[in-house]
Amino acid sequence: MIEQVKKHVKSLISTGKIAGFLGLRNDEGVVTPFLFQQPEDVDAALSLGDLDVPGAARYPMAKLAMRLLQNSQDDSIYGVLVRGCDERALNELKRWNQLGTTDRLIKVGVACPEELAKDHQCRKPFPDEFVAGEKVSPQPNDVVTEILAKDLDSRLAYWLGEFNRCIKCYGCRDICPVCFCNVCTLGDDTLVRTGDLPPENPMFHLTRAVHMAGRCIDCNLCTEACPADIPLRTLYKRVAEIIADEFGYVTGEPGEGKSPLNILGPEPGHTSAND
Amino acid sequence: MKKLLEFSGIDPERLVLKWVSSAEGPRFAKVVTEFVEKIRQVGPSPLRPKKFSGEELTEKAS
Ligand code: SF4
Ligand code: SF4
Repeated sequence: MIEQVKKHVKSLISTGKIAGFLGLRNDEGVVTPFLFQQPEDVDAALSLGDLDVPGAARYPMAKLAMRLLQNSQDDSIYGVLVRGCDERALNELKRWNQLGTTDRLIKVGVACPEELAKDHQCRKPFPDEFVAGEKVSPQPNDVVTEILAKDLDSRLAYWLGEFNRCIKCYGCRDICPVCFCNVCTLGDDTLVRTGDLPPENPMFHLTRAVHMAGRCIDCNLCTEACPADIPLRTLYKRVAEIIADEFGYVTGEPGEGKSPLNILGPEPGHTSAND
Repeated sequence: MKKLLEFSGIDPERLVLKWVSSAEGPRFAKVVTEFVEKIRQVGPSPLRPKKFSGEELTEKAS
């Protein structure tokens, strides 16, 4: 699988189609994001992050690509490695006006193996186009339904118990491909009290959940990164369901329309502002 | 918001969002009074720090 990707990337670089390829580099077993500019480097070190298990090392490629475009001095075109989740994140960032007006990214897609898709109960484990891998079916995730089956008191006890372990490392926010604000509410003392551990419970987490409404593309990176094993993604999954029910908006789809919470003023056709 | 509260186990009745313009004094008073009434009925928040009685504290300490 990796050989097909390497071949494709090398031809993009040597034909001058891209100024660089944002991928992953394996440096003696340590996988980190890297901007490849030489075909030799691609041969020597390009990685898909597959270590002991496929996709063991994943990074928010979409956010990194966004920063790359924002920091580049000219209007060069770059290649970027995308799995299904990275593509959803790029689509979402575009709708939030974070990728500029011209299309400066060439996606090099890989489809995820079943094992990885199952690990993350992935809703679409492949990008629309890919150069390696095979399409496997989306995987179900029933955690939201399980929580909805509990009564209010048990839900509260469950979440307070989970959030109570938070060490406020901000890992969830930093790894998130669609968390891009320059100033973050979670670091503002007047909005969410700072300095306490665990952070104000449940306000810290409910605040982040509200900010993920109409944004979270369900990549599971936050849950994977959380040192306290808090099932954050489950919370944001419910938020995504609410946004889909209320506004008919599904995150991560290609297109131009804005996310409902990125619109100032009343959304045409939506009348329940008072509810 | 209400649905998120509900999912987290907080009674959604505890949240009300209403648009009231600055020219609508009487309406504002009405909205607030109604909400205060409602909150009285719903009772203290489950998130309020618990106050222990003297006996409970001794029990906890032992
Ligand atoms: S990653 Fe986990 S521990 Fe760190 S701030 Fe987020 S929820 Fe808290
Ligand atoms: S699953 Fe977590 S990291 Fe991924 S988009 Fe949603 S909030 Fe961000």
